[in-house]
Amino acid sequence: MPSSPENTFLKSSFLAVVVLFCIGPFVYLIGLSFVTSWPYPSILPESYSVDLWARMLTGSGALVSSFFLSLLISLIVAATSTSAGFMTGKYIAYHKHKSLLLFLAYVPYIMSPVILGTCLMYLYIKGNLTGSTVGVILAQTMFAYGFSIVFFSAFWNHRIRALEDLVYTLGGSVVHAYKTVLLPISKNALLICFFQTFLISWFQYGLTLLIGSGKVQTLPIKVYEYVGEANIYYAALASCLLVLPPALLLWANKRFVFKTV
Amino acid sequence: MNSRSLPGKIGLVLFLILAIFPIAFSIGYAAFYSLGLTGLLSDGFTWEHWSNVFSRREVWGSLLLSAYISAFTVLLTVGAALYISIRLRSHLSKGTLSYAIYLPLAIPATVAAFLVFQLLSGAGFLSRIFMTLGLIDSINQFPDLINDAAGFGIIAAHTGLAVPFFTILFYEIYTSEKIDALSQLAHTLGAESRSVLYRVTLPILIKKSMMNISLLFIIVMGSYEIPLLLGRQAPQMISVLTMRKYEMFDISEKPEAFIAALLYTGIVLVLLTLVFRRSGAKHAI
Repeated sequence: MPSSPENTFLKSSFLAVVVLFCIGPFVYLIGLSFVTSWPYPSILPESYSVDLWARMLTGSGALVSSFFLSLLISLIVAATSTSAGFMTGKYIAYHKHKSLLLFLAYVPYIMSPVILGTCLMYLYIKGNLTGSTVGVILAQTMFAYGFSIVFFSAFWNHRIRALEDLVYTLGGSVVHAYKTVLLPISKNALLICFFQTFLISWFQYGLTLLIGSGKVQTLPIKVYEYVGEANIYYAALASCLLVLPPALLLWANKRFVFKTV
Repeated sequence: MNSRSLPGKIGLVLFLILAIFPIAFSIGYAAFYSLGLTGLLSDGFTWEHWSNVFSRREVWGSLLLSAYISAFTVLLTVGAALYISIRLRSHLSKGTLSYAIYLPLAIPATVAAFLVFQLLSGAGFLSRIFMTLGLIDSINQFPDLINDAAGFGIIAAHTGLAVPFFTILFYEIYTSEKIDALSQLAHTLGAESRSVLYRVTLPILIKKSMMNISLLFIIVMGSYEIPLLLGRQAPQMISVLTMRKYEMFDISEKPEAFIAALLYTGIVLVLLTLVFRRSGAKHAI
C-alpha cells in the first residue's frame, strides 16, 4: 500500500532527527573546539580561532602527550587481553562446566570498574603500582580480558574443533594447527576483539583515575580535568581527540561492532 | 604434558590469575574490612559498620537511585531503539543512517556526560534556545535538568549512549530471524498489522535481546563517569558513593565503602544468575 504524503513527510522528518542525533555530537564538539568566546545567551559563538588545534598539532600542548599515552596503554591492553582471551575462551568453550566458567568470566566484564578497583587497591598499594602506567595497564587489562573471554568463548565451536583435529590426524603439530588453520580463520574475530578491547581501554576513566591516582593523564582524565576547570573549549578539543579516531574507524568499517565473523 | 592441551592450560592459568583471583580477593578483602578484621581501624571482629549502614539511609538510597536510573534507562532505550529499528528499517540497511547510526558507538561515557552538561545545564544550548524564543527571561527560570532529583541528565546521557547500539542490535535480529517473512506469513493467515507487531515482531526482538537488555541494567547500575558529572551530591549512584567514601580523609568511612561495594556485588551476582538461568548462558556481545 503506498504511503500518504503526510506519512512520508513524518518518516523523513524522523529520519532527519535520528541522523542529527548521531552526527550532531561530533559537529558540536568539533565546532566548540574552535570557539574562543560564547557568552550567554547567544545561540552562536562570538569568535573562533584555530589556536587550540594549532597548539595541539605543533605538539606544544599537554594533550599530545596524553593522546600518545592513551594510545600506548590501549594498544598494550588490547594486545594482551585479546591474546589471553583467545586462549582462555578456547578452554572455556570446550569445558564440560562451560556455563559456570562463563558466569565467572562475565563478572569482571560487567562489574563496575571503580568498585572492583576500590576493593583491589590494597594489592596495588602493596605492589607499589598506584600512580603508575603499569598499574593502570594491569587494571584495565583485567576488565578488557573479561570481555575478551566472553567474546572468544562464543567464537570457538565444533566446526573449528573438527578442523583442528583434522590437522592432528594428518600429522600436524600444535604449531602447525595454529599457524595454518586456527589463526588464519580467527583473523576477523581477533581484529574485532582487538578493536573492542582497545576501546574499553581508550574510554576508561574511573579505573584510570583510581589506580593512576590522577598521575596517569590519559585523554578521558584530561576531558574531566578541563570540564572541572570550566575550560570547555579545551574539553571539546580533548573530546575530539578521544572520539574522532574510533569514529573514523567505525565509519570505514562497521564490522568492528558485531561479531559477524 | 600433552602439547595439544598446552594453549588450554595457559588459558586456564590466565583465567585463574586475571579473572578469578581479583574477584575472590576483592570480595574477601571487602568482607574482612567491613567486619573490622583488616584495615587501619582494625580492632577485631565487629558488626558495628554493618549496623551503621543498616541504620542509615545513605547506602540504601544510593542503591535505590541506581536501580531507578537503570530501570528508566532500560525502558527508554528499548522503547526508542525498537521504534527506530522498526520504523526506519529500510534506512538502516543502506543510505546515510546505515553509517551514521554507528558513530555514537565511538562516544565514551566521559564525553556523553560532557555533551549532556553542555546541552542541558543552566547556561547550556537548550537554555540559550529557550531564551532566544522568549520562553524564559533569565537563566534561573530554566528548569534543573542536570544534578536534579529525578536524575534526568544521567538517564538522558545513558539512554543517548545505548539507543544506537540497541537499534543496530534489533536491526541485526530482525534480519537474522527473518521477521519480514514471518510477518508476511502472519498477514497471509489474516493477522492485522497491530497483531503482527505485538505477537510476532516485538516478542522475537525482545526475547532474542533479553541478555543484552539485562546486562544494560547491570552496567548502568554501576556507572561512574556520568553520575559523577550529572548527579547530585546526595543521594549518589553506588559507584560514586563507594569511591567518595573510600577516598574521604575520614578513614572511619572506609568500611562503609566496602559494605556498599559488597552490597552492589551481591546484587550484580544475583542478577547475573537470573540472567544466566533465563537465557541458558547464551552470549551477549
